[in-house]
Parts: sequence; structure tokens; C-alpha cells
Amino acid sequence: MDTAEISALSVRNLRAGFATKDGVIVAVDDVSFDVPKGKTLGLVGESGCGKSVTALSIMRLLPNPTGRIISGTIEHHGNNLVDLSIDEMRKVRGAQIGMVFQEPMTALNPVHRIGQQLSECFFLHFPNITKKEAWDRSIEALKRVGIPAPETRVTEYPHQLSGGMRQRVVIAMALACDPGVLICDEPTTALDVTIQAQILDLIGQLQADLGMSVVMITHDLGVIAETCDEVVVMYAGRVAEKGTVFDIFEKPQHLYTTGLLSSIPKLESPGKERLSTIPGMVPSLADMPMGARFAPRSGHPKIGEYLESAAFKEERPELAEVAPGHWVEDCEYVRVFG
Amino acid sequence: MSEKLLDVKDLKVHFPLRSGLFSRTVKHCKAVDGVSLSLKKGETFGLVGESGCGKSTLGKTICRLIQPTAGEIHFQGANIAGYDRKQMRPIRRDVQMVFQDPAESLNARHTVREILEEPFIIHGIGDASARRKKVDALLDRVGLGKQAAGKYSFEFSGGQRQRIGIARAIALEPKLIICDEPVSALDVSVQSQILNLLMELQKDMGLTYLFIAHDLAVVKVISDRIGVMYLGKMVEVADGAEIFKNPIHEYTKALISAIPVPNPRAEKNRVMLRGDVPSPIDPPPGCAFARRSPIKVSEEIASQPGDYVEVSPGHWVEMHPATVADYDSYAASS
Amino acid sequence: MLKFKLNPLTRKKLERFRSNRRGFISLIVFCVLSILALGAELWVSNRALIVSYEGELYFPTYGDQYSGTDFGEDYSFEANYRDLAQKWEEEGSENWVLLPLVPYGPNESDFKDGLYPPFKPSFAESHFLGTDKTARDVLARLVYGFRIVLYFSAGYVSLVYLIGVGIGCSMGYFGGKFDLIGQRLIEIWSNIPFLYVVIIVASVTTPDFWKLLLIVVAFSWTGMTFYMRSGAYKEKARDYVAAAEALGAGNARIIFKHVLPNSLSTLVTFIPFTVAAAITGLTALDFLNFGLPVPTPSWGELLKQGTTNLHAPWIVLSTFSAMVTILLLVTFIGEAVREAFDPKKFTLYQ
Ligand SMILES: Nc1ncnc2c1ncn2[C@@H]1O[C@H](COP(=O)(O)OP(=O)(O)OP(=O)(O)O)[C@@H](O)[C@H]1O
Ligand SMILES: Nc1ncnc2c1ncn2[C@@H]1O[C@H](COP(=O)(O)OP(=O)(O)OP(=O)(O)O)[C@@H](O)[C@H]1O
Ligand SMILES: [Mg+2]
Ligand SMILES: [Mg+2]
Repeated sequence: MDTAEISALSVRNLRAGFATKDGVIVAVDDVSFDVPKGKTLGLVGESGCGKSVTALSIMRLLPNPTGRIISGTIEHHGNNLVDLSIDEMRKVRGAQIGMVFQEPMTALNPVHRIGQQLSECFFLHFPNITKKEAWDRSIEALKRVGIPAPETRVTEYPHQLSGGMRQRVVIAMALACDPGVLICDEPTTALDVTIQAQILDLIGQLQADLGMSVVMITHDLGVIAETCDEVVVMYAGRVAEKGTVFDIFEKPQHLYTTGLLSSIPKLESPGKERLSTIPGMVPSLADMPMGARFAPRSGHPKIGEYLESAAFKEERPELAEVAPGHWVEDCEYVRVFG
Repeated sequence: MSEKLLDVKDLKVHFPLRSGLFSRTVKHCKAVDGVSLSLKKGETFGLVGESGCGKSTLGKTICRLIQPTAGEIHFQGANIAGYDRKQMRPIRRDVQMVFQDPAESLNARHTVREILEEPFIIHGIGDASARRKKVDALLDRVGLGKQAAGKYSFEFSGGQRQRIGIARAIALEPKLIICDEPVSALDVSVQSQILNLLMELQKDMGLTYLFIAHDLAVVKVISDRIGVMYLGKMVEVADGAEIFKNPIHEYTKALISAIPVPNPRAEKNRVMLRGDVPSPIDPPPGCAFARRSPIKVSEEIASQPGDYVEVSPGHWVEMHPATVADYDSYAASS
Repeated sequence: MLKFKLNPLTRKKLERFRSNRRGFISLIVFCVLSILALGAELWVSNRALIVSYEGELYFPTYGDQYSGTDFGEDYSFEANYRDLAQKWEEEGSENWVLLPLVPYGPNESDFKDGLYPPFKPSFAESHFLGTDKTARDVLARLVYGFRIVLYFSAGYVSLVYLIGVGIGCSMGYFGGKFDLIGQRLIEIWSNIPFLYVVIIVASVTTPDFWKLLLIVVAFSWTGMTFYMRSGAYKEKARDYVAAAEALGAGNARIIFKHVLPNSLSTLVTFIPFTVAAAITGLTALDFLNFGLPVPTPSWGELLKQGTTNLHAPWIVLSTFSAMVTILLLVTFIGEAVREAFDPKKFTLYQ
């Protein structure tokens, strides 16, 4: 169909996991979504639900030798990234898809100057560039992410910068070669709220200027609401619900989404009141049921029946489209009832 | 309710930074630089501020894990700031702490039972079987169940580990618990479980909390009063509702406006701050916030210190031309 | 100790160690060799295992020595069991002797009339690796030399760890002035040239096993203090120590229950390398003549004999192979231990 025209990246039935001593652990199980061109797609879910594994699969950066993509396709500019060779993939990384990691210090080499590390990106993708040009472009790149006095900053080392500055440098590196898609894996989790606001603003501005598509991975629903156009809610390696940001926040259909939304502390609450919670905890990857994974925690009145039934053990629910573009796991026991 | 449990007066904690061959002290990191606050029995005081502003240092100093440089810490009327190890021992039963990183704060070589028995062993409470019963009761109290006792902390999820940390803190039935970002490392759904547990415990045991966090929304949920810290100083203190309704300090306003709101239709009007948090190592003279404030003032004014003023009952603000929008009218009225 | 074993983290480390085949096999081989060396009297000795003399059984291996007169000979020094065996065999008498596999002691010369040692390896005479230039059996000297190396390493490792951990831990834990002064003193101490001290001591007295051990340890504990110091310093700053302190735990409790166990676990990985250092150190000193007094069986002394008597290549070859084998085994064990303790270092990204 015409999805290729309007989506910058389209992930189809992605399964990825890790080979461990006790067999293969599937961390991402049959995940599909499209990143609309020039828009922001949010990937939200609790710790361990497979957000980072999804992002690393797209970049083909799963840890070697344990991590691997089991099946599925990742369509980008008519290429299936899953089938590319390592060398071809290197050309895609950075030049066409950039990535920003949660902890800026891990993405920067502590013993090299900022300018050297930025120049490295240019050398990788423009083999003919001179040292001087690469250096000048590095300064340009720092200027673009709003770092004051970039001429002196390029000569400094990562530890001389504050957390927010470092994250700006990482963004500058990710954007050095004007990629069409930027994947941000919790870009602001390690930062303070006021700095987070600055960084999110910066990403939004750069997106508007460069027309990028952004995948914003976060566990903070507030960040999702402020930055995203489309949202994918993940639970235990699967997509629980996906739709536009208004679908998710105003007409949530999955009990996990509603549970998440109601357990956020609200500024307008009077205070010192019990918060609503989701009972129980995320099941471990090793013993995941086949059926709806949220069922044991859903609190649905008839959940007992389902947990006993054969369907819970054997049938994996598909996604159902409840409204145009709004998809929910098709299992009545984890859907909003009443 | 009005009885003061803790009264901190002009507390300062300066870390000497050594450098050079002869290890001379050349600089000071002014982590806490003149903070006063008081806690009434049974209330929760929320403390917010950005990373590095000295929240943990303040908490640990009140717990006397860090030696204060100057100032007074009155706990139940006695100034414990100068107490030595031996004098502190009885106080330890009354002041406990819950830490930010539940994995880091539990010894990975000890089972949960060993971790929870430690307070009783240290204070010589009960024999082995009595301790056993107490540990089981504690585990039940924090919602983990007895079967958790034989396991090691890393066999639990983050939320469960934090429950173990809380169980250890309430073991000696303290009066004051310093919660240093107890939910910052947790997922939202787990975070709300832990906050509920803390509120329940407070009601049942009559606890007083100093609740440290960097997330204003979390602090709002649990606190009676809220204090905002910036670079080692308290810049605004008020009732929970008051501080959100009527923030006066520009920094408080910026913090509140920076919270991402989980509502896609919410309109954003952010107070954007300039630059980064300055370092507490040799901070700029005068008002620490003046150089980042959206209200621009001359360097001369910025280097004047602000006054800590009670603008309405229980609402204290650091008054300075750069930190308060209508400084002149406040100055005139007082 | 039992508790230590039950900790699943430790168990996982052990499992990881076992799954490294090379390291695990090396450990088994090393243990077997050590047991062989510790029980060397049972297979390398000039004392017989069993003597049957006039209907009675004697076990001379351990315990008092029997003189020649005990077995009807005309000399009163220790019985020569090889001669006895040969004599009774030739006489066809009722009496018999069961000799060990290698019937020579480490310090015993087996001269032959009219021939100059060293003698070539010979299976007929049970000199499996030949003899050195004073006609002592090379295999016997290697085995007993290895035993001394083992004792030396055990003493070295325990002393270095005891002193290093004790001092390092207190420096890291208490910090402050104590740490500062301690560090400066250690720096000064470790700048004293080790070899000179050994030469001086060797010229004043003959160093025996214990003196040598103490001298070597005196100059090698400093490295361990630095590891331990930084380990203790790191652990001390962690929140679980703060929690214990907030509960009112005293210094002793914090050190022995919290700081030590947690910082020691990383030091375990150094043990194999410390053992290797002890082996090479002792061998080198012996080689340079500053080591154990003659005629103690020692690898360094054998190595020196071998290099000066290249016309008898069996000496240098067997000593050299023995050293390389042991050092390789220890290194493989060390690598496996390190890998088992820190597996993260070994996962790669594409
Ligand atoms: N190298 C690995 N080997 C084995 N399992 C792994 C590895 N990396 C991740 N996993 C597992 O895969 C699952 C998904 O992890 P992932 O990092 O994608 O979570 P996430 O959603 O990004 O969580 P967070 O919010 O904590 O970053 C987790 O349960 C994790 O235990
Ligand atoms: N032992 C110490 N020696 C020297 N400086 C220290 C020490 N402990 C803390 N500091 C410094 O004191 C300042 C305040 O630190 P503190 O940990 O109290 O901040 P915080 O508000 O708790 O921050 P966060 O939100 O990151 O936990 C920081 O700049 C820190 O570097
Ligand atoms: Mg992640
Ligand atoms: Mg802190």
C-alpha cells in the first residue's frame, strides 16, 4: 500500500531476543509500527518492556553474540534493514538514522576531545573531507544544538561538560550527517526537569527545521504527551495499544494504558491521597503466557475465567482497530469495560 | 501536631577539595550553604531541587552521616550537630533513612533476613527467635511476605527492593525518616505503590518524613509542606497547595512549568532558564540564581545576597530583585 | 563459609568458572600436580615404601629412620634401601623391599664409579629425567622443588593478602590523615631497591625459607594495599554502608560485615597472578644465588645448572618445561577467574 510514502520507517512483526543458557528469551514479540514522515512516534512502557531492544534492533546494534533479530522486517527507504550486511548497515547508521542514548557519557569517549569525536562522524561518512573542514563542521554542529562558545567547547573533553551539555553534544553527533530519522532512547531521563525542558525543546526545534522523523522512547507519559504525534504503548515485549496521542490520552482502550495514566501523580490532586495503582508486577520474560500478558494484573471482573481458559495458554491476541489508526490488543479481558 | 520534632538552623556543609602535592585545601564545595527548616511531628516536608543542589547532603547531615561544617540540628530539643558516635547511638533508633537506589543501599552478600536483623542485632534487641518473628512481621508489613526472607536483594525487582529498604528503616520504630528520592528509580506504577505504602506507614506509626525528590508532582502527592532548594540554599518554603497556586520565586515557577504534563492538549508556557546549574564549587557571589533568572539584572545587583523573608504566614521566599518579579511591591510592603 | 557458598552470586561465578573449560581443566591439573608434590615421599624417595625383613613389615617412608643395623647390615647410618633391594634380590632371600617409583631423594647423589655426572636420562636406573652435575636425580629435585615453591606461594599469598588487606582496608576506610601519611610512607618504602636488600641480607646471613619469604613479602605487599584501599574507599561510599551507619553500627561491624566481604571478592581474581609472581620471584632469586641455601632442591638452581651445562640438555629442558607448564596453568586459571568475576568485559557490540 502507500505506507512507504508516508512513513519514514516501518517495523513489521519484529521479534528480537537473547540466547541464554536456558534457551532463547524473546524480549520483543511481534511488534509493528510506522514512524510517520516528519512526525514523532513515542514508544512508552515500563522498565524491561523491550523499548531499548526495539531501538537497538532498528540500529542493528543488539549485543553480540547473544542478541539477535529472530524475525520481522524493518523497512527504511525501500531497504529491509534486517537483511543488510554489516558494512551496508554502517552506512545507514548516522547518515540515515541517528541515535541518542540515555546516558550521554556512554556514547562519548572520555579520552577524546569533543571536536575529534564529532570529526570522526564526518570522516566516516565523507571519506574525502579534510581535517579542517571536519573541524569547522563540528563547530557548526555544536552551534546548531545551542552550545554557547562552540569554538572553545570543541577543544574540551566530555568530563568538562555538564550533563545537559553532554546530551547536546550527543544530539549534535547523531545529527551530524542530517539523518532522516532520529531515535532517542530516554534522552532526558538522566537530566533535571529544567534541562529536560531545554533538550526536548531543542529536539522539537531541530525536527521542525530539518524535517526529521523522531522515535521518542521514554517511560514518562508527560514527555510523550508533550512531544509525540503517535504513541505505541508496550507491555512485556508486545504492543498493548497504539494510536494518535489523543487516542491514547483521551480514549485509552487498554487497561494497562488506563492503569498507567491513573497512577501518575497529578499536580492538580489535593495531596496526601492514595494513588491508584496497578496491582502485581511485570511477569519475568522467562515464563510469559501466550495469551494477553497483562491479564493477571488487569482487574477485569471476569478475569478468573480467562486465566483458567485454554485461550490464555495458547492463543496470542491480535491487534484490533477500534477506530481509524487506533489499535488495541484484541482480548476483552484487558480492554476497558463497562 | 504543632510540636517541633526537628529544627535545623543555618546548616552549612562545605566539602574541602584538596589538590596539589601537599594536599592543601584550595577550594570548598558548598553543598549546603545556610539552610534552615523545621519539621512538626507527623508531617511530611517535601524537598525539591535539581541534581547537585545539596538535597542528599542535607538529608545525610541531619542523619549525621556527614559532619556539618556549621549550624545547629535540634532533634527533640537537643542539638545533635556536635554529637559523637556514642552520643548518637540512642538517636539512631529515632532517625532513619531510605535511599534512592534500592540496589545500592542493600548489601548484595546478605539475605533479606540478615539485612532486616541487623538493626535489632546492633541495638541488642531480642534473641534469635524474637528477631525472627520481628523480621517476618516487618516483611508482612511492607507487603513482601515471609518467604522473601531467605532470598538475596538482587533476586527482587526495584520496587520490592525499595520495600526491603523501607522495612529496614521502620524496624526500630523511628520518629523521623529521611526519604532520599525513594521512588526516583522506579516505574510509575511501582512508584505509586511505594508512595501509598509510605503514606500508610505514616498514618499507622505516626512517622515524620523529610521527603526528598526532584519530581514536583511526586512531592505534591505526599507532602504537607514543600521546600525548594537551589545551589545549597532554600529559596522558597510553603504549604503544598500554596506553592503551586502562588509560587513567588522565579526558580519555583520555572520548576513547576518544566514538569511535562500528561495531557496532549495542555498549553505550554514555559519559564525557560538560561544556561546550566552553576557548580557549588566556589559559587558566584551574591544571589546564586540571579545569573540564570529570566529577570535580568546587572552584575552589581546580582552580587548582592537576597533576604529570606516570610511573605505570608508559613510562606518563606528568598527576596532579591532577580528572583521575585514584583520585588519592589514586596519590598515596600515589608 | 557455608553461607558464602550459598550466595547465588558466588554460585553463578563458580558456574561461570567451570564453564570455562581451559581454566577449569588447568585448575584440576594444577591440583593433581600439587597433591602429587605434597605426597612426594610416596613416589619419589630414597626410602622404601615397605620393607619385609625376617617376617616383619616396616614402613620407613614417614617417621623415624631405620639404620643399616636394623636390617642386618654393618653400618649404623640410614639404611640404603636400593642396595638392600638389590642384595636380597640377588640372594633370593625371603626379605623384600618395595621401592617408590623414583627411588632417589632430592639431595642424594648417585655417583657411579669412573663416570662423571651429569648422567643421561635412563629408565633402567629409574633416572627418568637424568641427573644433575652432582649426580642428583633431576625429577626428584623438580618435584621437591615444586613442593617448596608451593609452600612459598602459599605463605607469600597469605602474608601479602593479610598485610595488604589489613593496611589497605584501614587506609581506605578511615581515610584522612592516617591514609595520607600511610600512602606517603608506602611510597617511600616501595622505592627501596629490593635486590640490594636481598644482596645485603644474603651477605650477612644465609637466608632460609622463612627469612626469604619475609623479605620478599616485605617488598611486595604494597601493591595489594592500593587495590584494597581503593576497594574499601569505594565500598565505604556506597549507600548500604551509610544505611548500616544510620542504624548505629560500629566501625568493626561495618568493616567485617560490609566493607571487607564486598571488596575482597574482587581481590580474589588477583590470587592466581600473585601465585605466578611468587613462583617466578623465588626461581629468579635462586637463579641469582640469593635464594634458598644449598642443597635445598630448587628450580632456579636447576635452571642455572642447566644453562651452564648445555651439554646436558635434559636439565635445562625438563626444568624449563616444568616452569612453563606451571605458569601456563596458573595463567589459564587466572584468566578464567577474572572472566568468571567480570563477564561484562567479554560481551561485544557489533
Ligand atoms: N544483553 C541482554 N541479555 C539478556 N537479556 C537482555 C539483554 N538486554 C536486555 N535484556 C532483556 O530484554 C528485556 C527488554 O529490555 P530493554 O532494555 O529493551 O527494556 P527497556 O524497555 O528499554 O527498559 P528500560 O526502561 O529499563 O530501559 C529486559 O527484560 C531485559 O532483561
Ligand atoms: N563527599 C563529598 N565530597 C565532596 N563533594 C561532595 C561530596 N558529596 C557531595 N558532594 C557535592 O555536593 C554537591 C551536592 O551533592 P548532593 O548529593 O547533596 O546533591 P543532590 O541534590 O542530592 O543531587 P541528586 O539529585 O543528584 O541526588 C554536589 O556538587 C556534589 O558533587
Ligand atoms: Mg531502555
Ligand atoms: Mg541525591
